[in-house]
Amino acid sequence: MHPILFRGRLPIYLAAWVPVAGLLVVLSALAGGRGWPEALALCVPLTLAYAFLCLWSWWLCRAMPLEWARLLRIATAHTLAGAATSAAWLGAGRVWTAGLARALRDPGVVLRYQRDLPLFFAFGVLLFVLVSCVQYLLISFEASRAAERRALELEVHAREARLRALTAQINPHFLYNSLNSVSALTATDPAAARRMCLLLADFLRSTLRLGGREEIPLRDELALADAFLAVEQVRFGARLALEQDLEGAALDCPVPPLILQPLVENAIVHGIAGLVEGGTLRIAARRLGAGIELAVTNPRDPEGRRVPGQGVGLSTLRARLAARFGTQAQVEVREAPERFEVRLRLPAGSDHGA
Amino acid sequence: MEREARTIRVMIVDDEELARSLLRELLAAHPELRIVAECANGFEAVRAAAETQPDLLLLDIQMPKLDGFEVLELLGGQIPAIFVTAYDEHALRAFEVHAVDYLLKPVSPERLAEALSRARARLAQGARAALLPLREIAAAARPGPRFLERILIRDESRVHVLPVGTVDSIEAQDDYIAVRAGGKSFLKQQTLAEIEALLDPARFVRIHRSYLLNVERLARIELYAKDSRIAILKDGTKLPVSRAGYARLKELL
Repeated sequence: MHPILFRGRLPIYLAAWVPVAGLLVVLSALAGGRGWPEALALCVPLTLAYAFLCLWSWWLCRAMPLEWARLLRIATAHTLAGAATSAAWLGAGRVWTAGLARALRDPGVVLRYQRDLPLFFAFGVLLFVLVSCVQYLLISFEASRAAERRALELEVHAREARLRALTAQINPHFLYNSLNSVSALTATDPAAARRMCLLLADFLRSTLRLGGREEIPLRDELALADAFLAVEQVRFGARLALEQDLEGAALDCPVPPLILQPLVENAIVHGIAGLVEGGTLRIAARRLGAGIELAVTNPRDPEGRRVPGQGVGLSTLRARLAARFGTQAQVEVREAPERFEVRLRLPAGSDHGA
Repeated sequence: MEREARTIRVMIVDDEELARSLLRELLAAHPELRIVAECANGFEAVRAAAETQPDLLLLDIQMPKLDGFEVLELLGGQIPAIFVTAYDEHALRAFEVHAVDYLLKPVSPERLAEALSRARARLAQGARAALLPLREIAAAARPGPRFLERILIRDESRVHVLPVGTVDSIEAQDDYIAVRAGGKSFLKQQTLAEIEALLDPARFVRIHRSYLLNVERLARIELYAKDSRIAILKDGTKLPVSRAGYARLKELL
């Protein structure tokens, strides 16, 4: 769609041509020695026709996007196109003047027109190039507006995704079960009930505080997982054992928040919780080349029924990491009948784009 | 008078110690109840139920080994149950198996009391009301619209869990089925039609009025007489194939 013809801009465009028509009328009357009626009858229709004729330069502008390296070629192309358009215009003008000469009963109309042809031609080329410039401006203006809108949309999407991720992180069943434990402890061990309330508050607060951030040090992400595990430890007691193998150099690496917590939660829900005797949940972190590798490993019942809902947390995590790091992040699942392991490999630091 | 004084024998089944202790504490407010067993997983529950014959189950759903629905299936649906779980998404299935009630964690004492009075009413109606066609329980024990993943068999107080992939064939024997897996045969009280309806039809084919076959086990089919064939399994077992069974098999392969 032509940005001037079809978007309500035509009146503005034509209004811009009024001074041009005025200038032509005045020049051809005063400098060209024409009477005012002749000058008006010649220049106003011709200008109006040319205003529409010049619009085709838009397709030329589109075909040749503005590039500094090709500026000379583009300028040449528009000048040549302007010359051709101007010539066509003046050809049509010749027909018009013939009619005008008959109407005014003055053959001088045609003679004067032919005398001024070079001037009209130069004027036509100039106008065509001017229109091209305006159209280039319009195109770049619309492109930047579209880019702005896209950036805005992207930001809204990202914010929504973060929020969704955040609310999805806090599994309601985890809360219900924890509250049930608190309720159990109030009668038998009030001090433990209070401790559990504090642990739960700790976990919720860190999730809400850290979850909204772009990235946090791995140290904080591990602390968040620890807060979660501290609550689960009250529920599962001796059935939940923990083992951590953390490399000091990895702890300061920035990572997106809430990447470990869903893995740890899966390890419990789909692993440890299904074992009568429980088992050991293992978290490992180390530097790997320019990035870091995180691993969460849990035992599981080889004959256990796979609880539905498995892999939702994992696929959300995959999508989050892919959106952020592209192919630079990998999520690897190592599955054995009695063991389940997820390994995350991410670029270390916010300079991952480089 | 005697009816009033009757104590209700309750069994608590939950894998979390704290959840059990909460129920224990809340049940203390109801002197007519007596806790006869506490179990931390489904296997224990099936064994303890056989030994103690409780009147009522307080049953968690998500547990190691067997979930609450599977426990109910293995107990033959004869013991009324109150489900106690943090998950509200199983409520519909719970009603399908005629659960007395469905309590959500954290458990409130008032809701528990309400559930217990329902249980008393149910028990007063006698054992008949508690009995439920096993078929319905077995169907509800299957999570969602998926096919059965494992066959549970109770053998006195022991429970066998047979993943369907390990099953070779299933034979009808009156009201029972004999499930053959790994050279052994297990009896279960269920009809062949009932179990057939729960199994993946792309995997188990009714090759005969009395036989379901795991098609992955089929080695070849031999013509044995006119219109009469036998299926030979990979381990050499021979099973009869009816004409209709042969058509079903051909369609699948």
